[in-house]
Amino acid sequence: MLKILDFFDYAKSESLWMAHFCTGCCSLEMAAAMGPRYDWERYGYMPTPTPRQADVLMITGLVSKKILPALLRTYAQMPEPKYIVALGACSFDGGPYNDSLAVIKNPTEILPADVFIAGCPPKPEAIIEGLEAVKKKIKEGIPSAASQGGLWKEMEF
Amino acid sequence: MEHLKELISRFSCAYVEDYKKIWIKAKLNSKDDLLDVAKALQTEGLRSLSTVSPTDFAEDGIMEINYFFEDLDTKRNLWLKVDLPRDEAVCEIESLTPLFASANWHEREAYSMFGVRFLHHPDLRDIIKSEDFRDKYPFRVDFDWDAHEKETVANVQQIVDAFKKEQSENEVDLESDSSETILNWGPTHPASGPIRLRVHCDGEEIISIDPDIGYVWRALEHLVTKKDFIGAIVAVERLCFMDNINSMVGYAMAVEEIAGVTITPFASWMRVLLGETARISSHFMGMGVFFNNMGLHTLAMWNMDTREFFLDFLESYSGARIATAAIEPGGVRYGLDMRMFDELQKALDKFDANIDEVEAIFVKNPTMRMRAAEVGRLSADEIHMFGLSGIVARASGVKTDIRIDEPYAAYDKLDLEYITQERGSARDRFVMIFEELKSSVAIIKKAKQHIEEAVANGEMNPTKDHMVKVPKKLPKGEAISRVEWARGEVLMHLVTQEKAKSPYRLKMRAPSFNHTMMLDYLLRGQTLSDIPLIFGSLYVCQGDLDR
Amino acid sequence: MSELFFNAFVFPGLLYVLIWTVGLFWFFRKFMAALHKRVGPSFNGKAGSYQTLFDLSKLLTKESITPDGVNPYLFSIMPLLAVIVAMLPSAFIPWMDSFVVIKSDYGLLALVVLIGIEPFLLFLTGFGSHNKYSFLGGIRILTQAISMETAFVLAALSPAILFSTLNLSAIVEQSSWFSFLVLFPGFILYFIALLGLLEQPPFNIPDAEQEIVFGFYTEYSGTNYFLLQVAMFAEFMAVFAGAVTLFLGAYKGIFFDSYLFFFLKMLSIALVMMTIRAATPRITLSQMLNFSWKYMVPLALLNIAWIFFAKSLWFMGA
Ligand code: SF4
Repeated sequence: MLKILDFFDYAKSESLWMAHFCTGCCSLEMAAAMGPRYDWERYGYMPTPTPRQADVLMITGLVSKKILPALLRTYAQMPEPKYIVALGACSFDGGPYNDSLAVIKNPTEILPADVFIAGCPPKPEAIIEGLEAVKKKIKEGIPSAASQGGLWKEMEF
Repeated sequence: MEHLKELISRFSCAYVEDYKKIWIKAKLNSKDDLLDVAKALQTEGLRSLSTVSPTDFAEDGIMEINYFFEDLDTKRNLWLKVDLPRDEAVCEIESLTPLFASANWHEREAYSMFGVRFLHHPDLRDIIKSEDFRDKYPFRVDFDWDAHEKETVANVQQIVDAFKKEQSENEVDLESDSSETILNWGPTHPASGPIRLRVHCDGEEIISIDPDIGYVWRALEHLVTKKDFIGAIVAVERLCFMDNINSMVGYAMAVEEIAGVTITPFASWMRVLLGETARISSHFMGMGVFFNNMGLHTLAMWNMDTREFFLDFLESYSGARIATAAIEPGGVRYGLDMRMFDELQKALDKFDANIDEVEAIFVKNPTMRMRAAEVGRLSADEIHMFGLSGIVARASGVKTDIRIDEPYAAYDKLDLEYITQERGSARDRFVMIFEELKSSVAIIKKAKQHIEEAVANGEMNPTKDHMVKVPKKLPKGEAISRVEWARGEVLMHLVTQEKAKSPYRLKMRAPSFNHTMMLDYLLRGQTLSDIPLIFGSLYVCQGDLDR
Repeated sequence: MSELFFNAFVFPGLLYVLIWTVGLFWFFRKFMAALHKRVGPSFNGKAGSYQTLFDLSKLLTKESITPDGVNPYLFSIMPLLAVIVAMLPSAFIPWMDSFVVIKSDYGLLALVVLIGIEPFLLFLTGFGSHNKYSFLGGIRILTQAISMETAFVLAALSPAILFSTLNLSAIVEQSSWFSFLVLFPGFILYFIALLGLLEQPPFNIPDAEQEIVFGFYTEYSGTNYFLLQVAMFAEFMAVFAGAVTLFLGAYKGIFFDSYLFFFLKMLSIALVMMTIRAATPRITLSQMLNFSWKYMVPLALLNIAWIFFAKSLWFMGA
């Protein structure tokens, strides 16, 4: 019995599907990571058309005020267990748009990310490495950061 | 040109003068003349209105509106200014939308950002800015950003509430037993990217489309005013990352014009070389997206494969694959190590090896022809009317290409020819991208050869010539510059104040704005399946749509 | 009793379908990746062969969301029904010489009808999802099924007419190289209709990602989505097996007869299908309707005429 459960846990960590949601220019490098040279499908990552089948939500860079509700909704639509990966400087502290007030400066305070990937935009290798870190987190049984807290729980969207 | 000048002089003007080679700059004394001038211009043949750009001179109490009229055929352009009182209650002017369809969204933008009211505008609603800025005009100089920022949570709540309200009102007007409905196409949609189209449809048939944009609004035009002239390139470059070099070139040209510097021949050739590399990387994505939107991912993958090699060159030159920040006012940022050309050569070889295959399988694809050869057709007249540019214009047979019309960098030393298609359908736009891709590669080869020869016989010094000094503080002035961007015309209008350390106002006119405006026009009466196809063929990038 | 158990749960029942699903899913991804100049899954197991196993098992452990406002019974029962109905046709297929679960003189009819029901179940999944995109997907699949099935049935009937029997085993026994040639036009028609029924490019209109998100799959997650996936692959199997039985001589091989040949034949149909998938964009619903009613159906009728002609010429004596 234990063995079977272990197997399912392992399967969970090895198969990560991404919700299709671009909020910023980092999504360009995400497209490159899908492309022939980097080909993240080798590691079992795959984009899905609808958030209902996704395991990972990628915050691809900047989150503008206008798109934040849509982002939260997408997150809410995903089935448990779900993880969040934040790409780029923007999703950490606003990055180059730090001075712009149309942009949420710290989206991960609202929707805490499990893994941050540095860069502007992060290179495809970095994106893949970041996703590997998510796998590791799942294997170690660490619950996702967003389920532990974050402003999103207090917001209505 | 003289005729045009005379025509303008008939009205009461503060000045009428020549500007650059193909522009006339004039200022009207009274805003009441505007409509008459516009009518006269239209009969004269200046049928496109490129953009409407207000500048807020708070100290003088003046809101200066700049109109940029263009004639895509004869290449005569007019830069028309008119002053308005700045006070919100009286800041109003006749709308040009009834005469120039292209003015529509540009006037809406000016209204939302500066609070200029356009009288008799058919549809003067907010655009781009999010709901928390309702009745606030964020680009006015005296807008208190910091106070607004303090309320972030309430602001987001306001956006949410407005969205919910809109959704609940969506179908109230529709009869409950009709098959009409309103679809939200985006922003969480596989093909949309951050844009939302409110599609009012009857079953599969589209009744109307109302694009809701602003999901990646970063207020770039405001952001640059907080940075110095060098720092601003970070923002300008992020206009759209697919072709970032050319937007930087446009900005750098405007700064150089105000500062009065001329760049070295080496730098101008490098601008051509880098600019075309960026154009190629953008066109690769554009072609891929076109087919992706028809459910075929193979071309996108193949293109990505080749594109990587061009990015390798950019990386070897600037250290970054995409965010290169490689163009600076005064030249190009880095010197060139001739070994970097090896990377470029690899990319060119890769390109040559693959291009025939792509042409045979995808450009000549019979299913694609069947699907796209008849939809989304634009005639040459419509191109003029809606002020479209770039590949969309050329696909309809309009000969416009700023690289030829108003050559910048070293484009005047290259013998370029207009590449056009005839029929203006979605397929023609795709073929257009493909043809331009090939011509860009040819340009790169020429530029590379030229640089190599000039370096070999000592005319250029690749490690020293790349920059001339541009002063940190610029004099008072204003300039416009136009570049042929991957998607079309980018017009930068830069205004500086006395001893300026940072831009006072930078208007970036980006082509996707006009192209997205076309969606409603093109898609009425079509079916849902045509949305992604036409959207893809218009080659829209959300980055420069929202800015 | 034990034989029935074996048939229902092992071969050609549940286990077989699951293995087929995992295997074909992997094969599709790998083959598609190769056409994309990529590698595809490669780090889990040899050449990534465990990847789809992980993917599908993962779906089982995920939360299955039932959205607000749907009828929960309709929403959850439909995927299950879809799987069962998609698996039923394999009971009538002669997988090996003298291995048919249900021996019937009307096997062909059962096959065609069971394959034909599937789209209606999928329509109901879309209908029950309370989502505009799912609903549109449902409508589309219904439209497509109705127009494609006419041609499909007509094409599937051609061997029956040729051999004057509806018994699938009898059809296989009488088939030969020569009959394959006579039936070839019918096979082509069957194949095109198959693309339409299975929603493969250029007819992947019902789940057109770029147009209507994911059609009727849009709201499904977790176990329900898993079931729908299995249903889809089981449907693949049924339709492929139908093609192999009707036109390609089922298990008949070159030197010996075996299930192996059956499998290889199915695989080669899958290969052709994938290659078309990698090089053809999607067409619109109206183009599909046009195509199917203006060309497919008349051609299928012509084909029937040709079969009668051929039969009177060469097969009368037999
Ligand atoms: S981190 Fe850089 S690349 Fe990513 S969204 Fe922000 S600005 Fe764009």
